[in-house]
Amino acid sequence: MDDLLQILLNGLSVGAVYALFALGYTLVFSVLGVINFAHGAIFTLGAYFTYLLIGGGVGSNGLLAGFQLPVGLPFWLALPIAGLLSAAVALGVERVAFRPLRKRNADPLLALITSLGAGVILVNLIQLLMGAESHSIPTGSLGSLPPALSFGGAHIRTVQVLLLAVSTVLVGLLTAWIDGTRSGKGLQAVSEDPVTAQLLGINSGQMIQIAFGLSGFLAGIAGGLVGLSVSIAGPYFGIGYGIKGLGVLVLGGLGSVPGAVLGGLIIGLAEALVPSDLSGYKDAVAFGFLFLMLLVRPQGLLGKPLPNKV
Amino acid sequence: MGQMIRRPSSCKPQLAKWLKAWLKGLLIAFPVAATTACQAPQSQVDNRFPIGAVIALTGNYSIIGQDQRIGLELAQQVFSKREPKTELLIEDGGSDELTATNAFRSQISRGAIALIGPSNSQQAFAADPLADRAGVPVVAASNTANGIPEIGHFISRVSAPVSVVAPLSIAAAIKLNPGLHRTAIFYTQDDAYSTSEFKNFEIAAHKKHLEIVTVQRTNSGEMDFQKQINDNLSLKPELIVISAGPSDGGNLVRQLRELGYGGPIVAGNGMNSPNIFPVCQRYCDGLLIAQAYSPELATPINNSFLKLYQQRNHGATPPQFSAQAFTAYQVIHQALQTLQATLPKGTTIASLPLQDLRQRLNRQILSGTYATPLGDIRFTPDGEIRQNNFYVAQVKMNPDGTTGRFRLLP
Amino acid sequence: MDTTLLQQMLLGALLGISVYLPLRCGQLSLATPGFYAIGGTVAALLSTRITALGGDGASYPISSVLLEMAVAALVTGILALGIGKVVLRLRGIYLAISTIALVEILRVVSLNLSFTGGAIGIFGIPQPFATPEAYVVFTSLLLAVVCWLCDRLERTRPGLAMAAIREDELAAASQGINTANTKLLAFVLSALVAGVTGVIAAHFLNSWNARMGNFDASITTLAFVVFGGTRTWLGPVVGGLVLTALPELLRPVGDLRLIVYGLVILLGPVLFPQGVITPERLSRWSRMLRQRLRLEAPTP
Repeated sequence: MDDLLQILLNGLSVGAVYALFALGYTLVFSVLGVINFAHGAIFTLGAYFTYLLIGGGVGSNGLLAGFQLPVGLPFWLALPIAGLLSAAVALGVERVAFRPLRKRNADPLLALITSLGAGVILVNLIQLLMGAESHSIPTGSLGSLPPALSFGGAHIRTVQVLLLAVSTVLVGLLTAWIDGTRSGKGLQAVSEDPVTAQLLGINSGQMIQIAFGLSGFLAGIAGGLVGLSVSIAGPYFGIGYGIKGLGVLVLGGLGSVPGAVLGGLIIGLAEALVPSDLSGYKDAVAFGFLFLMLLVRPQGLLGKPLPNKV
Repeated sequence: MGQMIRRPSSCKPQLAKWLKAWLKGLLIAFPVAATTACQAPQSQVDNRFPIGAVIALTGNYSIIGQDQRIGLELAQQVFSKREPKTELLIEDGGSDELTATNAFRSQISRGAIALIGPSNSQQAFAADPLADRAGVPVVAASNTANGIPEIGHFISRVSAPVSVVAPLSIAAAIKLNPGLHRTAIFYTQDDAYSTSEFKNFEIAAHKKHLEIVTVQRTNSGEMDFQKQINDNLSLKPELIVISAGPSDGGNLVRQLRELGYGGPIVAGNGMNSPNIFPVCQRYCDGLLIAQAYSPELATPINNSFLKLYQQRNHGATPPQFSAQAFTAYQVIHQALQTLQATLPKGTTIASLPLQDLRQRLNRQILSGTYATPLGDIRFTPDGEIRQNNFYVAQVKMNPDGTTGRFRLLP
Repeated sequence: MDTTLLQQMLLGALLGISVYLPLRCGQLSLATPGFYAIGGTVAALLSTRITALGGDGASYPISSVLLEMAVAALVTGILALGIGKVVLRLRGIYLAISTIALVEILRVVSLNLSFTGGAIGIFGIPQPFATPEAYVVFTSLLLAVVCWLCDRLERTRPGLAMAAIREDELAAASQGINTANTKLLAFVLSALVAGVTGVIAAHFLNSWNARMGNFDASITTLAFVVFGGTRTWLGPVVGGLVLTALPELLRPVGDLRLIVYGLVILLGPVLFPQGVITPERLSRWSRMLRQRLRLEAPTP
C-alpha cells in the first residue's frame, strides 16, 4: 500500500511538470496547428528569470559576469513575474518566427524551423550572457518548510508538492478561463474553425497572441518551479522536457487542454512504474506510449477526430 | 546604407530588402569564402608555436570546459613569455562527438603542434583516433575512462584514470565510518566515463568486502531521482557511491539528503568541481571525492598557479580540472623547450617540418618528467600518467549554504 | 578549403535528400537520423567484428565498404517497409511526431543493448581511405549517383505520382495512382539513402554510437530541406551543404556562432518560404547564365 502511494506521488509530481509543459504546446497548436519548438527555450528562460529576480548573482562567465539585481524578491513573487517576462518573450517569438510566415501564407511546416531557430538563438543568448554553469534557487526559498513531507509511509519532497499544487491551480484557472470568458470562448472558436471565427468578428490575430502569451506564462512558471526543484543545469536545461512534452502532447490529443493534463499524468505515472533495473528504458516510455497511441487512435486520448486532409 | 540611417521612417521595407539581398549574397558567397578563408597556415603563427585546445564551451560538459578554459589561459599567461614562444588556440568542442571531432580537425589543419582535450572521455574515443592517424600529439586533460592512452601512440593524458582514483574515496569512507557494510551505487549508464568509473567503484567495493545492495542506473540529463532514491533507501544502505556529471550528481545528492539519507556519500570525478556547490547547496556538506590535485601542495609551480588562479577568481580555490588543464599545457611547453635544447647545433625546432616536429614532440612528451601543480609526473610508454600524489577531499560548505571548499582529508 | 568539412557537407547533402524524398510526396517524415544510425551501426559492427572483411592489406578494402552498404540498404529497406506500412497511415504533424518517437525509441534501445556498444558505442572502425580527400571523392561519387537517380525519378512515373500526391492526395488517388504504395516507395528510398550515408559516416568518424541519431538530428536535417527547397533534389543538396558548413565556418565569430546559425535558420524560411532553390529560380538563373555566355561569346 505504501509502495503504491509512493509510486502515485512520484508519478504525479513528475507528471505535473509534463502537463504544464504540454499545455503550452497545446495552446499554440490549438490556434495555429503547428508546434512551437522554441517552447523549451522559454521554459529555460523562466527558470533564469526566477533566479535573477530572487537576487541570484551571475557567476564568473558570460557577458553579465558578476551581475546581480539590486533587489531580491521572495520566491512567491519572483515566480509570477518570471512567468510574465517569459510570456513577453513568447510574444516576441510569435512576432519574429510565426507572424511573418502567416502574413505570407507560407506552409505552416516552416514554423517548425523558424521556431527552432528562435529557440537556438534564445538558448545561446543565455549562454552568451550568463555562461553555461548551473545556477540554483536557494533551498531556503520555501521559508521554514521541511525539505520533505511524509504521507503514511511515503516520502515526497516539499518542492514537488508545491509543483503539483501550483500546476493544479493553473490548470483549473486555465480551464475556467477557456470555458467561462468571452476571450476563452474566442480561443476555442479560432481553434475549431479560424475562418468562421473571423466571420463572427473574432480577431484571430489577437487570439493567437493570447495563446502565445499564456503558453509563455505557463512555460515560465514551470521553468521557475523546476529550477527550484532541481536547479538550473545550464542553458540546455529545457531540452529534455521539450522532447518529452511532444509525447505528452500527442498522447493527450493535439490541441486538447484536458488531454495535455491527462497525458502528462499518465506518462509521469508510467515512468514511475518502470522498475529500477530497467530505468535505462525510462526515456522510451513516453515515446512508446505515443507511438502506440498514434497507431490505435491518432487523435490522442481526448483529441477531436482527424480531418481527412491536413 | 547612409540614407537608411538618416530616414528611419522608410527604413523598414528597405531593411527587409537589404536583408534579403544580404542573405542571398551570403549564400552565393559561401563556397567562395570557404575556399579562400580556410587556407590554413602550415607552420607557426607570428613565430609562435600553436597549441590547440578543444574543450566543451557549450552543452552539458561546458561546466567542466569552463574550469579547463581558466587553467589553460593561466598556463598561457605563464608560459607564453618563455622560449620557445607558444600560442594557445581554444576551440569549442561542444559536448558531443561530432563537434569535438570537427574541432580537432580544424586545429590540426591550422597547424597545431599538439592538442589538449577533448573534455570528456566519450568525445575522446571519437576524436583522438583522428589526431593519432594524423600524427599529432594529444595530451588529454580530463579524460579518465579506462583505455584512453591505448587509443594510440600519440595519445597521452595528465588526468589519472578512474581505476587509480576511484578506490581511494571508498577507502576513505570506510576509514571515517568503520563498520560500513551495505553499499548502494548510482551511475549514469549512457556515459563512457561514468560506466568506466562505476566498474572501478564496484571492484573497489568488492575488495573492501562491502555488500552492494543495489545498483541504480540513471541517464545523462536526468534530474529528478525521487523514485530511484525511494527504491534505494528502502534497502537501508550505509554508504552511497555516485558516479555522475556535475549537475545530475549534485541534484542526486541534494535529493538523497532531502529525502532523509544521513549516511556518507562518495562521489566520482565528474562531480569534482566547485560548480556542484550551487546545485546541492548545503547538502553538499560531507561529500567525499578523490582528488588528483591538491591546492595545498607546497611547490613553487603550484604556488604560482594558485596565486594566479586566486587573483583571477576572487580568492577561490582552483578545482582539479583547471589544474589538470594547466598541467597539460605545461607538459607540452616544457617538452618543446627540451626538444629545442637537445637538437643538434644549427637546427632549430622552427626549421623542422611540422610533421617531424609533432613526432619528435610526442616522443619528448612521453619521455620527460615534469614538476607540475599536480606534483611530479611522468608517462608510461603508452602515455598513461604516473602521478605520486592523490588525495581525498571532503566538501565543507560555508554557513551561507552556497559556497564551500574541498577540504583534504589527512 | 578544409577537406574534412567538405566531407561532412557531402554527408549533410545526402541526409538532406533522404528527408526530401518523402516530403516530395507531401509526407513529413523525420525518421532519417534513425536509419542513418542503423546504417552506421551495421557498418561499425561488420567492420569491427568480422575479421574476414578486413582483407590483408594495410587499409580496409573498399569492396567491404560496398558490401556493408548493401547490407545496410537491405536492413534499413526491410525496416522501412515494415514501419512505413504502419506509420504512413498518419498524416502531417502526426506522421512527423510518430517518426520522432521512432528515432527516440531506437536511440534509447540501442543505448541499452550491449552488442551495439551501449553508451560508449563502437570505436576503432577501420579506415578504407587514408586521407579525407579520398573520402570526399568516394562520397561525391555516391552523392552524384543519388542525385542522378533522383533526377531520373523526378522525370518518371513514380516521381510524377509523388508530385501529384503532394499537390492533392485525393485527386491523385482518383486518377488511379496507388497512393499508399507511392508513399511507401518514397519512405523506403529515404531510408536507403540514410542507411548508406550512415555506412560512410561511421568509417569517416571512426566511432559510432546511438547518439548519432537523435531528435536534434531530425530537426537539423529537416532544416536542410526547408532551407534549400522541397521541390527539386537540388534544394536539399544545397541546404545540406550550406547548413552543415555554417556552424563550422562561423567558428571565427566565437561565442556568437550558434546565435548567427539560429538567425539564419530563422530568417531562411521567412525570406524564402519556398526554399532557396526552386524550379522557377533555377530556370531563371540558367537563362541569365545563358544570356551572359551569349554576350561574352565572340560574334562570328
